[in-house]
Amino acid sequence: MTYVLRRLAFYLLAGWVAITLNFLLPRMMPGDPTSAMMARFEGQASPEAVQALRETFALTDAPLGEQYLSYLRNTARGDLGISIALYPAPVAQVIGSALLWTCFLAGTAVVVSFVLGTLLGIATAWRRDSWWGRTLPPALAFLGAFPYFWLAMLALWLFGFLLGWFPLRHGYGDAIEPGWNLPFVVSAIRHAVLPATTIVLATAGNWLLRMRNNMISVLGEDYISLAHAKGLPQARLVFHYAARNAVLPSVTGFGMALGFVVSGSLLTEIIFAYPGQGYLLVQAVRTQDFALMQGLFLAITFAVLAANWFVDILYMWLDPRTRSSRPS
Amino acid sequence: MRVVFGTAAVLLAAGWLIVGCTDPIRETSAKTVTIAKETQAAWVRNFNPLIAPSLSRWPTTCGIHEPLLVFNVMEDRYVPWLAERHVLSEDLLELRFDLRHGVRWSDGEAFTADDVVFTFELLREHRALDLEGVWSFLSRVQSVDDHTVVFTFSRPFVPGLVYIAHQPIVPEHIWRTVEHPVTFANEHPVGTGPFTEVRLFRDQVFELGRNPYYWMRGAPGVDALRFPAYAGNDQANLALVNDEVDWSGTFVPAVERTFVARDRAQRHYWFPLVGNTAMLYTNNHHPALASAAVRKALSRAFDRELIVEVAMYGYTRPADATALSDAYATWRDGSIAAADDWTRYDPKRAAAELDALGYRLDDDGRRTLPDGSPITFELILVSGWSDWVRAGQIVARQLSELGIDVMVKTFDRPTWFDRMQRGAFDLAIGWTVKGPTPYTFYRGLMSSDQYKPIGTAAPLNWHRFSDPAVDELFDAFERAGPRSEQEAIAREMQAAFVAHAPSLPLFPNPPWGTSNTRRIEGFPDAGNPYAVLSPNDFTFPLLVLTRLRAREAP
Repeated sequence: MTYVLRRLAFYLLAGWVAITLNFLLPRMMPGDPTSAMMARFEGQASPEAVQALRETFALTDAPLGEQYLSYLRNTARGDLGISIALYPAPVAQVIGSALLWTCFLAGTAVVVSFVLGTLLGIATAWRRDSWWGRTLPPALAFLGAFPYFWLAMLALWLFGFLLGWFPLRHGYGDAIEPGWNLPFVVSAIRHAVLPATTIVLATAGNWLLRMRNNMISVLGEDYISLAHAKGLPQARLVFHYAARNAVLPSVTGFGMALGFVVSGSLLTEIIFAYPGQGYLLVQAVRTQDFALMQGLFLAITFAVLAANWFVDILYMWLDPRTRSSRPS
Repeated sequence: MRVVFGTAAVLLAAGWLIVGCTDPIRETSAKTVTIAKETQAAWVRNFNPLIAPSLSRWPTTCGIHEPLLVFNVMEDRYVPWLAERHVLSEDLLELRFDLRHGVRWSDGEAFTADDVVFTFELLREHRALDLEGVWSFLSRVQSVDDHTVVFTFSRPFVPGLVYIAHQPIVPEHIWRTVEHPVTFANEHPVGTGPFTEVRLFRDQVFELGRNPYYWMRGAPGVDALRFPAYAGNDQANLALVNDEVDWSGTFVPAVERTFVARDRAQRHYWFPLVGNTAMLYTNNHHPALASAAVRKALSRAFDRELIVEVAMYGYTRPADATALSDAYATWRDGSIAAADDWTRYDPKRAAAELDALGYRLDDDGRRTLPDGSPITFELILVSGWSDWVRAGQIVARQLSELGIDVMVKTFDRPTWFDRMQRGAFDLAIGWTVKGPTPYTFYRGLMSSDQYKPIGTAAPLNWHRFSDPAVDELFDAFERAGPRSEQEAIAREMQAAFVAHAPSLPLFPNPPWGTSNTRRIEGFPDAGNPYAVLSPNDFTFPLLVLTRLRAREAP
């Protein structure tokens, strides 16, 4: 139990540091949002109008301490402000709708990639002398080494444009009313296949290699030989004895990957015009939309912390050593 | 094994379902114009015509809300829109607009002079809406009767016409009750324009249907406008090549080969050079860039023909020393640039002039200031603007042949813009502002009004040029009523620009515009140049939108 409490205290501290950094970083960027806005339409505005606009967007020149306090107050209330890039939508609402799409697309892709990569890692380590055990790891590593945007563009061009099997863009069909009905769900899945597959192709190789290397070193341990000698069934030996130990480092990586899902898959979302989080972030930075930037960073930070916490708990289940409160 | 087969069967079935069931492509009629405008991953519903145009959706000022007049750069005249006539008084202090009769708002109410007065009063009350600062030269706006509005100026300011003429007008009976017009999203717009009914609004696509009360006879010739969200240029171009888009303002690389060649009969582009001018801004406070003679010598050192060919795919032409694009064809006096054309490539002459000015080569082959220290420049560009980045690299390479070390640095757009405004650069490639007369254009490049010391943000005049004699030209233009008088002053402005070379023009920026006439026709082109094809502007595209019509089914 102390282990859980200790971790919780750590997360609280990390959360506060993140919130504070989140406040400071955008303010250290050069430029200001109103002039960025003017730059966007290559126009000029009278200085009086610019000043009045700054006041409308609540961009004050108040002392930092004061701004920090009101920022903390608003954040605690869940009021993340109004987006300038997507004026006048409230940041919380903008992030909310993009988050759903991102979690659906990138979340599915990361889980599929992790499960697929890890299973293949186990298999290729167990049968590393078979022909597929020798060819699969380098083949997937090769795919993963391609620049991602190139891979995604190729997939889009081949399967979307030339063959026409999958839609070219967006999260669902433009002619479909979003809602919980069959046409919408099928359409959403159809639209996710191509982008998700490219993510899986690009990342599965990593999971495979990581798992395979761990497996091979675990398979060399004495207790595996003993289990072998005892005549345990192969499946039990592979999954309960070897894989369960070998998967621990991968789980840490999985936690991180899961957390970063929230930051969106930037290139995927741009190439497939997917209505997710990644493109929002670029837009926020480009337009110096402090409120949106802060909201996004906050969402990302908390997602990473939450994912880590989830992994901590997963660890406790996978690795009995963490369950004892004594530091080993 | 059975499990494996079972799983495979389920996967196959799911795969068939997903690949096999195609979405309905269009739920809309064929009389819909699909337009690729604004790079957005998801739409936000904002149709407020009074705030900065980039904050609200494009059709806000191009379809929903209309101005009094629309300036047509191809014809160099104001096209009567909500106003049929405008008259400036002899003393230049009263501007009268006679409004069009029979115009109705999209809810059926009559459009009157009170709506115009109300709109301008809103700007006076809310400074954040007065983007062009009209109340800096206006003193009163009054309606004489239902169809006559008089603007009283506090001082003669002839160039003010465009700001008044292009102000989108809002209905008083709706906006009277709006509490915060600056933050108002105007989700259910009521306008006088051709497309006012929001038929559909989702994060990925929105559609505007026609205004049942539109005043222009026979217009619009289509039922609706449709705007799919494209997060980037590549996505929009893919849709364009796939015949999904009818009208686009995206930059298409090698447009002739990638787009037009696949269907010459229906696919068109037209880039008349009536946009702004891309400039190589020279920071006039840099010791090596302070004198006009040096700037002119440097200007001769790079080959604009090469830049246009390599960086701009040959879509444009080199600028001349007046920097004026074809938008000012009726104002440009060719003889002025010809007399001292320092934009012509002549590296030998550039080197000789620099030598004569005391900017000699040192023993290491580096060009030096008269005091002996080597000259180095930092050239700043926006990262990702590949055409300008290529142009900047050519400039850097050709200046290095002169013995000058140029470091090319790219920044994000906001950072770049911040540096431009504060004067934190030696050289930079940037745009110029444009207007109906050379006054707006040159004022941004030469007026002391816009001058700010290094470190303070200057909205324009980023290179920081100032000369009281030139300022007098702007004052004179503001008080010049007759066109002949204006033209004489504009010629003096051109002469001043050629003489002082405050910055170095590179090429007129082509306004990107592509059209696909499979479903929709009536787009302007070189054969029928009634307006600019590019939708990349505000207000002007009204000229095109009202001329588009659906093609008869074959």
